[in-house]
Amino acid sequence: MGRDVLVLGSNGFIGLHAVDGLRAVGIEPRCGRRARSNILGLRSRKAQMVRADLDAPDTLRTAMAGCGTVLHIAGHYPRTSHDPEGSVALGLRQLDAALDAAAAAGVRRFIYVSSTATVAPAPGGGPADESCVFAECPDFGTYHRLKWAMEQRVAAETRMETATVCPAGCLGPGDLRVGTSALVLALVAGGDPPHPDGVVSLVDVRDVGVALGRLCVAETLPPRLLLSGGSHRLQPLLERIADRYGVAPPSSPLPAAEAVARADAAERKALATGRRPTMSREIVDLIIHGVPIDASRAARLLDLRWTPLDRTIDDLVAWARRMRLLPPAPSSPTASPSVPLQESRP
Amino acid sequence: MTTAQAASTEARILHILSQLTTLPPERIRPQDRLVEDLGLDSVTRLELISMLVEEFDMDVELEDAVAVDDVAGIFAMAHERLGDA
Repeated sequence: MGRDVLVLGSNGFIGLHAVDGLRAVGIEPRCGRRARSNILGLRSRKAQMVRADLDAPDTLRTAMAGCGTVLHIAGHYPRTSHDPEGSVALGLRQLDAALDAAAAAGVRRFIYVSSTATVAPAPGGGPADESCVFAECPDFGTYHRLKWAMEQRVAAETRMETATVCPAGCLGPGDLRVGTSALVLALVAGGDPPHPDGVVSLVDVRDVGVALGRLCVAETLPPRLLLSGGSHRLQPLLERIADRYGVAPPSSPLPAAEAVARADAAERKALATGRRPTMSREIVDLIIHGVPIDASRAARLLDLRWTPLDRTIDDLVAWARRMRLLPPAPSSPTASPSVPLQESRP
Repeated sequence: MTTAQAASTEARILHILSQLTTLPPERIRPQDRLVEDLGLDSVTRLELISMLVEEFDMDVELEDAVAVDDVAGIFAMAHERLGDA
């Protein structure tokens, strides 16, 4: 099923690992890319690249011609949270362009990669599973609103079979934009990043790549699938990471309201300077509204084995050193295997 | 390779840098640092290397790309891979 696969967002952090995951199941995907993008990872993989720009529908139709499956990992990711309406409108317009092009090209399966930001708390207070969806748009922040609206749009699609995959915060080698990894790397670098406390769900990006590859060849598509290697309380997790790497422990967490205010201020400053915000509202929202996640369904359906968090973070740190995002060892600390990270589960 | 070929390579690199920074090519100097002087962030810096890779059809490993700090380093990387140093 779906042996001809187009990957939108193939040059990104998750996208490159999805390409690896597809190859692991014997599929050589078409790798969609925009005209101006970093294609070093695709090129080193000698991947087949095609122009596919969500803002240029003609390129989408051409790229999707003859494809049975589209794997969409290019959903809009707003740099800041200052414009919720504009971000949602842009995200939906680009998603509609991809869905319309897929329908016109006769694509049978459309797999959309979303986020665990759309996972609502479980009614009984335990870990949330695929059935836990916000009945109405959560009023947390731009990122949550955007991802909820896009997921609703995919769920309403009737022209082809669809699935929405919600990965937890992805960690591992290759996070060049340093998204979810930012807190971990800042801490290991000896900094004291301000943060709130809450439940964070994390997953090794390589496991996500494996899952997406297997999903593309699955006999049937589940409508929604959560991918998470485990849920943790952030503060004890950061303390254990500091202990594992022999760096100063993090300061106490900020109260949620203060974290939101500081992130908003940092994003306003970033907008004025054109630089990256020192504290992201999206990350703050994900932490303070995070819920424990039960990803056992994906593990069963796709025969997944979640990589232990220790290994994920050790590999992330080693990669960050090679990429000069951290000072090279031994001028920065190395991991102490005697401090396992799994113990910070809520 | 000739000096003329090396100069042509550098002119093409400056043209691409000009597109990314909106600075005119003649204002960009070999000693300019990509982040501090030209205002590129880490992501745009990799986009720059990626554009050069396509422009010159050369291969650059990510580790080598992130090691380049200034315009002279880009020139050197291109000359080495294109054999026009």
